[in-house]
Amino acid sequence: MTPRTVLNRSLLAIAGLVLLGGGLLILFAGLDIYRRQALDPPADWPLTRPDDVLLGSADRAHWSSQGWWWWPAVIAALALAALLALWWLLDQMRRRRPGALPVGGTPPQEGVELSGRALSDAIAADAGALPGVEHAAVHITGRPTHPRTRVKLTLTPQGTPGATLNALCQGPLPTARRSTGSPDSPTEIRLQVARHKPHRAQ
Amino acid sequence: MTSDPHTSAPSGAPPTLRTTAPLTKTSPPPDPVAGEHDQWHRTHRPWSARRLPAALVAAVILVAAGAALVDVVAVRAGRPAAAWRRHLTGELGTRPVDDVWMLTGAAVATAVGLWLIVLALTPGLRHQLPLRTPTPGVRACLDRDGAADLLRDAAMQVPGVSTARIRVRRHRVKARADVRFRDLQQVKDDLTAVLHEERDRLALARPPRIVVRVRRRTD
Repeated sequence: MTPRTVLNRSLLAIAGLVLLGGGLLILFAGLDIYRRQALDPPADWPLTRPDDVLLGSADRAHWSSQGWWWWPAVIAALALAALLALWWLLDQMRRRRPGALPVGGTPPQEGVELSGRALSDAIAADAGALPGVEHAAVHITGRPTHPRTRVKLTLTPQGTPGATLNALCQGPLPTARRSTGSPDSPTEIRLQVARHKPHRAQ
Repeated sequence: MTSDPHTSAPSGAPPTLRTTAPLTKTSPPPDPVAGEHDQWHRTHRPWSARRLPAALVAAVILVAAGAALVDVVAVRAGRPAAAWRRHLTGELGTRPVDDVWMLTGAAVATAVGLWLIVLALTPGLRHQLPLRTPTPGVRACLDRDGAADLLRDAAMQVPGVSTARIRVRRHRVKARADVRFRDLQQVKDDLTAVLHEERDRLALARPPRIVVRVRRRTD
C-alpha cells in the first residue's frame, strides 16, 4: 500500500469511529438502554437518561468560564483542524511523480539520473508492441527512491491475459528494472479488454 | 544493484527493450490447480486508495471547521453570533436525546460511521480480478468486464451457440447461451470445456466456478 492509502484509510477509520461512538452514545441514552438492560454507566458518563440534552446550560456555563485561554485555544484548534482538512483534501488531487530516478541502485551513482517520463514512455512503447496489446499506458509514481510502476494495458479481443502478463514480466519489466538498477520497485498491472461486439461463429 | 552495470541506461536515453516471449493462443499458462506455487505468485486484489471517500470526509471537516472558526472569531471581535449557530445551540440545548430528530441523527451518524470503518478496512476495487504473476513484486489484475468479453468470445466459437451472455463475479462465472442447432447436452459439454480452457488462459489467482446454462432457441 502506498503512504497515501495508509493515511486515507487511517483517517477514514478514525472519522468512522468518532461518528459511530457519538451516534451510539446518543442512541443508548435516547432509547434508555442503560436502564432496560440494567447497565451501570460510569459516574461522569455524558448521556445516561432519555431526557438529557446534548448541550445543557450547565455545560455552556462551564465551558464559557474557563478563563482567558479558552477561546484562543478553540480558535487555534479549529484553525488547525481546517488546515489539516484542507491539506488532506488537496492531497487527494495530487499525483506524486518522481522527476528523475537515480540510476545504479543504492547508493546511487553520482549525477546519473533517468527521467521518469522517459522510462515510463519506454516501458509503454515496449509493452504496446507485445502481441495482443492494443494500448499501453505507464505511470511511474512515488518518490525517486521508492518509485512504483503502474501499467495499464488494453488487450485486443484476441489477447490472452496470462500470456501477455508472462511476456510483460519477461521482457519490458525486467529490462526497465535493470536500466534503473532498482530491482524491487513494486509494479501494478491492470488489464482490460477493448470493448467489442460479439463475433458470430463462422 | 551493482551486479549488472553494463545494462544501466545513460541519462535521458530510453533503454532498449526486447520481447522474447512466444505469444500464441496455443500456449496457455500452466494449469492453476496443479500446484505452481514456485513459478506463479498469487496476488491479492490491490487496495484502493479510497480517494473519493477521503476527499468527501475532508471537505465536510473543512467546511464545518471553517464555518465554526469564522463565527467564533466574529463573536470574539464583538459581532453577534450567526443565526445558524444560535439555532444549533438552541436545538441542542432543548431537544432531549429521545426526540425523534436526535434519534434519527444518531442512527444516521452510526450508519455512516460503520460505513467509513468498512471502507477503511476492506480492499475495495471489487471490479478487478487478481491474476497470478510470474514474478514476485508484480501485482496484476484483470477487469471483470474484460474477462466477461473474452469468455463470451470463446463461447461464441462453440458450434450451435447463437448468443452467449456471460456474467463474471468474483467466485462464479454464469454463462447463458442460446442454442440454434446440435444436441443441447453436447453443446453444453463443449461450452463448459471451452469456458474452462479460456478461464485458465486468464491466469486468475482464484479461478471462479463456471456455471453453464443452455436454452433452445426455436425462432
